[in-house]
Amino acid sequence: MLKEKRMFQGGVHPGDGSDKALSRGKPIVPYIPSKVRISMKQGLGPACNCTVQVGDVVKQGQKIGEANHFLSADVHSSVSGEVVSIENGIVEIKVSKCTLDYTKKDYYHEFVETDGLERKKLVSALKKYGIVGMGGAGFPAGAKYETSEVITHVLINAAECELFLTCDEHLIKEQAMAILNGARALKIAAAADKVVICIEDNKKDCYDYLSSLLVGHESEVDLMLLPTRYPQGGEKQLIKAVMKVEIPSGKLPANVGAIVSNIHSTKAAADAIFGKIASTSRVITVTGDVNNPTNYLVPIGTNVGELLEESGDVLSENNRIILGGVMTGRVLGTNLNATALKEMDVCVTKTSGGLITLDGYFEEESSCIKCGGCANACPIGLSPFKIDSAIRNGKIDLCKSLSAVECIACGCCSYVCPAKRELTFHTVQARDAVRAKLREEAQKNAK
Amino acid sequence: MPSNLYAPHIRTPKTTASIMRDVCIALCPALIGSVIFFGIRSLLLTLVSVLSCVIFEALWQKLHKLPVTVKDFSAVVTGMLIAFNVSSTTPYWVVIIASAFSIIIVKQFFGGIGSNVMNPALMGKLFMSTVYPTYTMNYVEPMQTDLVAGATMLSAMKSGREVSYTVMDAFLGKVPGALGETSALLILIGFAYLIYKKEVNWKVSLAFMGTVAVIVTLAGQNPLAHLCAGGLMLGGCFMLTDYNLTNRTGNILMGVCAGIIVAFIRVWGMFPEGVCYSILFVNCMSELIKGIKTKHIYGKD
Repeated sequence: MLKEKRMFQGGVHPGDGSDKALSRGKPIVPYIPSKVRISMKQGLGPACNCTVQVGDVVKQGQKIGEANHFLSADVHSSVSGEVVSIENGIVEIKVSKCTLDYTKKDYYHEFVETDGLERKKLVSALKKYGIVGMGGAGFPAGAKYETSEVITHVLINAAECELFLTCDEHLIKEQAMAILNGARALKIAAAADKVVICIEDNKKDCYDYLSSLLVGHESEVDLMLLPTRYPQGGEKQLIKAVMKVEIPSGKLPANVGAIVSNIHSTKAAADAIFGKIASTSRVITVTGDVNNPTNYLVPIGTNVGELLEESGDVLSENNRIILGGVMTGRVLGTNLNATALKEMDVCVTKTSGGLITLDGYFEEESSCIKCGGCANACPIGLSPFKIDSAIRNGKIDLCKSLSAVECIACGCCSYVCPAKRELTFHTVQARDAVRAKLREEAQKNAK
Repeated sequence: MPSNLYAPHIRTPKTTASIMRDVCIALCPALIGSVIFFGIRSLLLTLVSVLSCVIFEALWQKLHKLPVTVKDFSAVVTGMLIAFNVSSTTPYWVVIIASAFSIIIVKQFFGGIGSNVMNPALMGKLFMSTVYPTYTMNYVEPMQTDLVAGATMLSAMKSGREVSYTVMDAFLGKVPGALGETSALLILIGFAYLIYKKEVNWKVSLAFMGTVAVIVTLAGQNPLAHLCAGGLMLGGCFMLTDYNLTNRTGNILMGVCAGIIVAFIRVWGMFPEGVCYSILFVNCMSELIKGIKTKHIYGKD
């Protein structure tokens, strides 16, 4: 078993762990809403084609969206019930029945036989049951594992380097065996030499628990404890930390023989492969300035406002509500409460890991003092302050030569900036502008 | 969209003002020392200098309808450093003119905080020592009730006269000199605070001082005397490390270059002291050093 400490360049270490402590230590609470609103866009690719109509009665796990692009995955109904409306690619279903607990199945309790599993069948199961990267990117697992590259490592990402979120660690604590079985299956699905579950050392208890379960099966799944440092769970950083190789610019992890899968995706893969259950639920952390921070197990399409209400609503009127993590998530709105959030109809997707309420802290941008903090914090090695100044002056060519396209939008630069400049926002803007320009040039050359 | 809606949604508690405030705090031991060595006039000079820097900055920004940024403490730092660079007998009006020069011409003409090429306080010192040398370099003996003119250690060493102070005197600050420069010990205490707060790259200072020490040793002079005398400590700890970003390696290279210049001026040059010139020189070099690519970009080369 691997236990070394390995690092990547840059990164930040915000917080003291008190943020995660808010929602830590309480069991995952299942929550079944009275209606769900399922988006046809659950991942990276374009929205799926809806295959149901208003008035249809659907069963839980029934396919309701057909993928039309290799970067999309099929969408399944997360509940049994009647389709009430279909608007803007969102299917609203009135819930009559919903099962969230599969823990009676054998693969939640013991190592199941994996000898008979075939790679092809596993990949088609990942596709059929709509498994996507549930860490945030939403890359369809079927497309990822279908690769023609030779894969040596499957990395199961349980780093959970984002602050506040504890859904990964609670998933490990409550459904460890399903994860281990899923990891073993994914190793076969990628025809990889080894599968490594990567955990940050602020979750040593999860590591210890998994290693206690693995007694007698040590050769099948590797565990690795990584230093707590954001963005340890970034795909590029994880590969660098574990395999000591870098993904060449513009390439995919598979090009260096790696596939990274999120821990939730691994559990969903176990359900798909061993239980023939579609990916229709996930665990989401509702935390921050709320009365009762909790991890909820919910069907996809649950209104996040209901979850906020379940957690006892916001503590202060002056707030920001964030979907996702505090480093990369997006603000749903400011000065909201549960009722107002419910009216916004924002619903859980396969990639939503958290709903975080923070106070309404606000600070104006000021001039760059050239301290170099952003350049030191950038895990890619960019100089965000230069890119920031270049894009504000419209110099896209300069952004290109400063390698703005490599930005992973992790947020480290804005986090460390003492002048409170919106470096991440502008670097991402520069990245997208350069990408658009490169595409344009490529099209011109093609003509 | 107001900026508090952009990711990331948490930010470091550190601000420009908090960094500059820490620098002010770090300069306080040397300020207290100067009051002990040269009397209350040191404090008054510092206050005049700080106030005039703050007022000139606010005035300039008001006149040009720019946001007034005096709350960021950077003008306070400049003011303190200008005062630290003159003798305690300097007339107040000289310091006021130097403050105006530093803040308006060196800092605001180039775009204000972060955009100035050269360290405003050092340019102020250069200005004063060029235009008013007789006022700013009347160094006096420390801890005397009457003003007794004294030669600095460096000028004594330069002219080959017998040096009447020990290295320990210079380390503690009991030597004639500019008011904030004399005590290496007090400057190092302040510097240690900045290192503790992780606000300076101490390797740059080390590279600077190490280079000076090596070269003067090779030239047959006492490196400890050179380290403790003159503006080397103050310059190396507070002015060379002033944010003037190239990159980590580039900054260390700047430290080495500044060290070489100081050592050469002190040992072979015409002047007894060269810290001011050396730091201003490497400030100008920073654009050149920026061209050196030292950072590895993930997934490239």
